[in-house]
Amino acid sequence: MFRWKLPDWYDRWKKDNPVTLGSLTGPIILFLVGFSAWIAAIALIVWYNWAQPESLQTGPRGAGMSVPNLAGLDAPDKSIEAYYTEEAYTPEAGEDLAKDVYENVQVLGDLTDANFTRLMLAMTEWVSPEQGCAYCHNEENLADDDVYTKIVSRRMIQMTRNINENWDGHVGETGVNCYTCHRGQNVPSGIWFKIAPQLEAASGWAAVQNYATDQSVSTSLPHDALEKLLLEDGQINVHDLEPRVPGSTADVGELASIQDTERTYSLMNYFSHSLGVNCTFCHNTRAFYDGAQITPQWATAYQGIDMVQEMNQEYLVPLRDTYPANRLGPMHEDAPKAACNTCHKGYNKPMMGLPMLSDWPELAAEGPPEYE
Amino acid sequence: MALLSFERKYRVRGGTLLGGDLFDFWVGPFYVGFFGVTTVFFAMLGTILIFWGAALQGTFNPWTINIAPPDLKYGLGLAPLADGGLWQIITICAHGAFISWALREVEICRKLGMGYHVPIAFGVAIFAYTTLVVIRPLLMGAWGHGFPYGIFSHLDWVSNVGYSYLHFHYNPAHMIAVTFFFTTCLALALHGALILSAANPAAGEEMKTPDHEDTFFRDFIGYSVGTLGIHRVGLLLALNAGFWSAVCIVISGPIWTESWPSWWNWWLDLPFWAD
Amino acid sequence: MAEYFNIFNQVQVQGPPEAGMAGPGKPETDRVGPPFFNTWVGWIGNAQIGPIYLGFLGIVSLVTFILALNIVGLNMLAQVGWSISEFLRQGFWLALEPPGPQHGLSMPPLDEGGWYIIASLFLLISVMSWWVRSYLRADALGMGKHVCWAFLAAIWLFLVLGLFRPVLMGCWCEAVPYGIFPHLDWTTAFSIRYGNLYYNPFHALSIVFLYGSALLFAMHGATILAVTRMGGDRELEQIADRGTASERAALFWRWTMGFNATMEGIHRWAFWFAILTPITGGIGILLTGTVVDNWYLWAVEHHFAPEHPGEYGYDVYQGGE
Repeated sequence: MFRWKLPDWYDRWKKDNPVTLGSLTGPIILFLVGFSAWIAAIALIVWYNWAQPESLQTGPRGAGMSVPNLAGLDAPDKSIEAYYTEEAYTPEAGEDLAKDVYENVQVLGDLTDANFTRLMLAMTEWVSPEQGCAYCHNEENLADDDVYTKIVSRRMIQMTRNINENWDGHVGETGVNCYTCHRGQNVPSGIWFKIAPQLEAASGWAAVQNYATDQSVSTSLPHDALEKLLLEDGQINVHDLEPRVPGSTADVGELASIQDTERTYSLMNYFSHSLGVNCTFCHNTRAFYDGAQITPQWATAYQGIDMVQEMNQEYLVPLRDTYPANRLGPMHEDAPKAACNTCHKGYNKPMMGLPMLSDWPELAAEGPPEYE
Repeated sequence: MALLSFERKYRVRGGTLLGGDLFDFWVGPFYVGFFGVTTVFFAMLGTILIFWGAALQGTFNPWTINIAPPDLKYGLGLAPLADGGLWQIITICAHGAFISWALREVEICRKLGMGYHVPIAFGVAIFAYTTLVVIRPLLMGAWGHGFPYGIFSHLDWVSNVGYSYLHFHYNPAHMIAVTFFFTTCLALALHGALILSAANPAAGEEMKTPDHEDTFFRDFIGYSVGTLGIHRVGLLLALNAGFWSAVCIVISGPIWTESWPSWWNWWLDLPFWAD
Repeated sequence: MAEYFNIFNQVQVQGPPEAGMAGPGKPETDRVGPPFFNTWVGWIGNAQIGPIYLGFLGIVSLVTFILALNIVGLNMLAQVGWSISEFLRQGFWLALEPPGPQHGLSMPPLDEGGWYIIASLFLLISVMSWWVRSYLRADALGMGKHVCWAFLAAIWLFLVLGLFRPVLMGCWCEAVPYGIFPHLDWTTAFSIRYGNLYYNPFHALSIVFLYGSALLFAMHGATILAVTRMGGDRELEQIADRGTASERAALFWRWTMGFNATMEGIHRWAFWFAILTPITGGIGILLTGTVVDNWYLWAVEHHFAPEHPGEYGYDVYQGGE
């Protein structure tokens, strides 16, 4: 440590300019004002924050896995208020069945008359509250198959039963009924049509991406993700599961390309958007494919993929010729199809998990319904 | 305690903010000062706590040590030490150390008669850190939103927080920050190279002048910002990179909670597009 | 603290425009002007714009670049049916896309990546001729070639992304599309496809150098501005003959962190940090998909992937909301 003799001018200057409280008032006031403003800002923020919902943590602490839009997921779904339901009538022995009472009952014949009419009334509330029975029936002869909607809804009842019986791995005990998709509308929101290719003067991969669409959730990722992966049985997984894998992306079909990856990513954007969640709802994104780093919701969604493919391939696409032209897709005149958003409509559980099956054992499975 | 050849005359007393002559000395080449003492205190405490956390975790592999913040359920309260509390205390120590370092730099500037540009620039960096571990968690209602202290574990946090908004690259403030980062790198390469090319000319040539520097860049791209200007530009580019980074993360969660690509719908839906 | 921080020029002094130095032995004839002044620019740095040296290579570079830009832009316009309105609306989303995987390294049809290959060729010529220009302009003035070598580091990354790696992968499809959002999609898809690039050690190194460059320029810019009152911005003079500005700047850092650079040496730190960013980045890209196909699994294999002990699924964490 060195101490030098300070120059005389310094000592003189110091004597002439002593540090007094007066000279410090400016900085002190500035500090106090700044400090109180900072405290006030923090207080305001923290107080305001108590009114905000918290995020939903989905993984280990520090991993950054959370869904911030809890307000979205907590905001009540208005279609729940408008949901019409009626408890089932327990059938008594010897009661008349629908197939004995009415003509041309192909799917719901095993229902009792009371439950049959109950279901018909509910379906009207769920799908055509304004048009009433006339939306599907020829009112002068209810047995007639004139109106195309009757054909469609017959098939959709079968589809609903199939979902509830065979896909309970996805829909669980909650189940679905017509209202899950239709929500009081003739045509459900969230249906989709083929929209690829959106670009001219380009072909192949270049024509199906680099354009903002709803299906690609406003990204420039490929907009044929639903078509290729939820209608056709395209390969969704793209990762190599070893650190080193032989082969080249030029071997089409053997290894996934960057383009394939973008299509999968587009599908995942669609999933997240449809459920009002994000990628971390199912994945620890450092290793999307790792079974030890996924949430239980991943398995549910995995079933959902196969379920939607079957819905589209077995039920919805074959209905194409039944529809009039105004119900078909604008670009390819294809049948309207379903995907996540058709049921979920922005919630991780459709209707925020409202049980849809408990009053409707008629829709739970093929064959005669089982009442408790 | 070797001094540089010219150093002796600069080692004068004065310039301190706190403590007067008490800590106004050097240890080796390091200036101490009151804030040097507080820096060492906070840094040592924080480091010991990190080692403790590593011991609790069961590994001392520097790449995999992970001091994680608390679960979100603890909100803005203090969590148990082994359940994120350690992270909270380490964060306080980090702030103590960083702010002390900045104030120590102020004392050194005052002693050397320099402007305060360096500690202010460092303040921007501290602000970015504080935004990540204090301001954003505060706004979102839980300390658990901070990033974990760990070399690779903090990258997992970045990955997950990025994908929380589906495609973070579409965040406009992120785009601005990235542009500033890359431009800073470009400008630094050019500036470093230019000075060196003038100070180390072609074989057999004499050292060049600022006029040569100006001439080179005017020949090359039609403009030369000059010897003073490049330092302003460089500082402003670098500070903006840090600032917009802080902005891009503080708006993600407290203000915007959906996917970042969806933010661009305002542009796509403007009423005057023809279709 | 009421001292001027020297961020802007308080007074702009303007003399006659500077014509520029002559090189050793020959006068400059190819400089194009006349130079003019812009006051807004003059608040930060020199107000003089121009003259610029055109030269043959400069013209080649400019022309090929404009060609490449036009190929990209016109393709985008064609893709939206030549509607200017839709082109502006979808602008950030549009792109000129590389060929699909099925074409490998051969020339595809124009509308399926062919234009992309042509535009890339023009861009390559443009960049390489600009690079040679950077060498020749320094040579004409008898200066060192450091700018040229720094540019080469950036060109390394450019070539890795657009040429070397696609060739090694056997497929033009791996190249980056020309488009604003699409090239960002490519970045994320690349990371997803190859197992999370955060675990690529060269990616990590490159980020270290990128952030380090920002740190260094903030430090260096701030330091010089802090000593401009002693002439610190006159770096070349200070290198040749150390003045009190360099001394204080050095001592500031020595007292702060225990070591320091010199007025010349700091520019070497700067140069290397900045050029190592694209150099290591390029290496990291080059190794991806060729040598390593999944960086996270590679990290697990090499024992540097951390554990995140804890459960997955929101049900576990519902408790304290």
